[in-house]
Amino acid sequence: MERLYLKNYRNIKEEDLAFNPTLNLFIGKNAQGKTNLLESIYLMGTGSSHRTKSDQDLIDWDADYFFLKASIIKRTREMTFSYGYNKSKKEIKIDNNPLQKIGDLMGYINVVLFSPEDLQMVKGSPAFRRRFLNLEISQVNPYYYHNLQKYNQVVRQRNLLLKEIRANYAERKKKRDLLSVWDQQLVDLGSRLIKKRLEVIERLDILARLTHRKITDGRENLKMEYKSVLGAIEEQTSREEIEIIFAERLKEDVDNEINRGSTLYGPHLDDIELFINEVNVRQFGSQGQQRTTALALKISELEFMKSEIGEYPILLLDDVFSELDSLRKSHLLEVIRDKIQTFITSTDADAVNEIQSKYNLYSVTEGQVELSKGSD
Amino acid sequence: MRYYAKPLANLIGELSKLPGIGTRTAQRLAFHLLEGDYSDAKALADAIIDAKEKITYCSICSNLTETDPCYLCTDLTREKNTICVVESPRDVIAMEKTGEFKGQYHVLHGAISPMDGIGPDDIRIKELLSRVNDQILEVIIATDPNVEGEATAMYISRLLKPLGVKCTRLAAGLPVGGDLEYTDEVTLSKALEGRREI
Repeated sequence: MERLYLKNYRNIKEEDLAFNPTLNLFIGKNAQGKTNLLESIYLMGTGSSHRTKSDQDLIDWDADYFFLKASIIKRTREMTFSYGYNKSKKEIKIDNNPLQKIGDLMGYINVVLFSPEDLQMVKGSPAFRRRFLNLEISQVNPYYYHNLQKYNQVVRQRNLLLKEIRANYAERKKKRDLLSVWDQQLVDLGSRLIKKRLEVIERLDILARLTHRKITDGRENLKMEYKSVLGAIEEQTSREEIEIIFAERLKEDVDNEINRGSTLYGPHLDDIELFINEVNVRQFGSQGQQRTTALALKISELEFMKSEIGEYPILLLDDVFSELDSLRKSHLLEVIRDKIQTFITSTDADAVNEIQSKYNLYSVTEGQVELSKGSD
Repeated sequence: MRYYAKPLANLIGELSKLPGIGTRTAQRLAFHLLEGDYSDAKALADAIIDAKEKITYCSICSNLTETDPCYLCTDLTREKNTICVVESPRDVIAMEKTGEFKGQYHVLHGAISPMDGIGPDDIRIKELLSRVNDQILEVIIATDPNVEGEATAMYISRLLKPLGVKCTRLAAGLPVGGDLEYTDEVTLSKALEGRREI
């Protein structure tokens, strides 16, 4: 990303920023707008914010619209992206052509965000790990994103139908026939999602293990495993076999699903398990091990994207840099070194002392951004 | 609405109920109508009432029509043994524009969607079943390719299969005349899955 123009975005009234091709630092006290800058870059990449679901929240309090515009160099070609929202309509343009769906944005600007909440990927509920996986795959595979959206819609429709069946005892038989048409789509789309996830996890597993070994000097062995609510599913399981197992589970447990009024099987409930030296990190890992695991996952994400799309994504480090100890910090810097454009926020200007490569330093105060130290 | 005269406020209110029309557009339309000739306003009002009174559902295919049965159902040159099932009258127009389909139509007026409270009994599936007899050789299900359209298609095909009728679904694939390199990834992935031997 070469340039970013922001207007009425959160607390930022108007800024036009030119960036360093490798390292950019936003330094400032808390609540000055540092994370808002990262969020805007994230928004341009994924079409949604990582902090809020409503675009309304992104508009400056005193304004009724916001507008972002970025110039990007993508494989030597320059492209411009704009993203505007005026409380009723959102308009995204690539090289001045409006997009029909937000889904079309996926895959242009790839971003990886690392924030303190990412520790939840290791410690938190399965939803965090599914989100990580979905976002990761969607950015490199638009078909996955398409199927995911359809799948989620099928789950919503099916859940409502299950509740209807529960409420309406008289028409139970008839409605059950109707359930099977949703089952068919649930199984078809769901098995595609699971199969794709298995493929991706196989790759991520290797990449994360390598990184983790390096950070821990070979003392620890990280392992990722896909854990499906469907039961025994392995890397080699074919999509057709997954379909059969999935359909079987639904058939066995239909009464339970009706009683609960909810779809109890499928990729929307699956999880990834993380082990260090065969021990579950989520349950038994130390704080330090959990942090290293989160870092290894993030770096594997970067490398995975590089291998899928041929170039590194933009890396956004929100408030994590100062929290890492010097070993992890130096390892991260080595990965980034001169090849990954990185945006870092920090409250502490000293956090950057160890950085040897060129960088731009911006100070952020009350929504005003000022370049205080440029490269070269 | 205090600053509008009452009939004007009424008109704006009615116009803004139309799809795609917000209050601002409604206001512009209302002022335009008031500033125009009386005859123009009358012609519009008459056209609306006339259409509303004369257009009914065809008792055979459920399409919108002025005569019952509709001109498509009474056209003797059209094949009687194929029925194309669509969600809305707009889809009939789209199919007719192709000029390729010479059979009969059936308009469902919606798709199954528990979220919108629409079940099989709320759309015209029963009417379709009553049309299927020995003379019908094929039913082409052309509902939209979204999850609701797919569910509707599957539901219908399940009801028709035991009757021994051939059920087909429109294919998904590459846009004709487009370059492969400009096709979006989702369409291309779908087309790849549905590839055929040549």
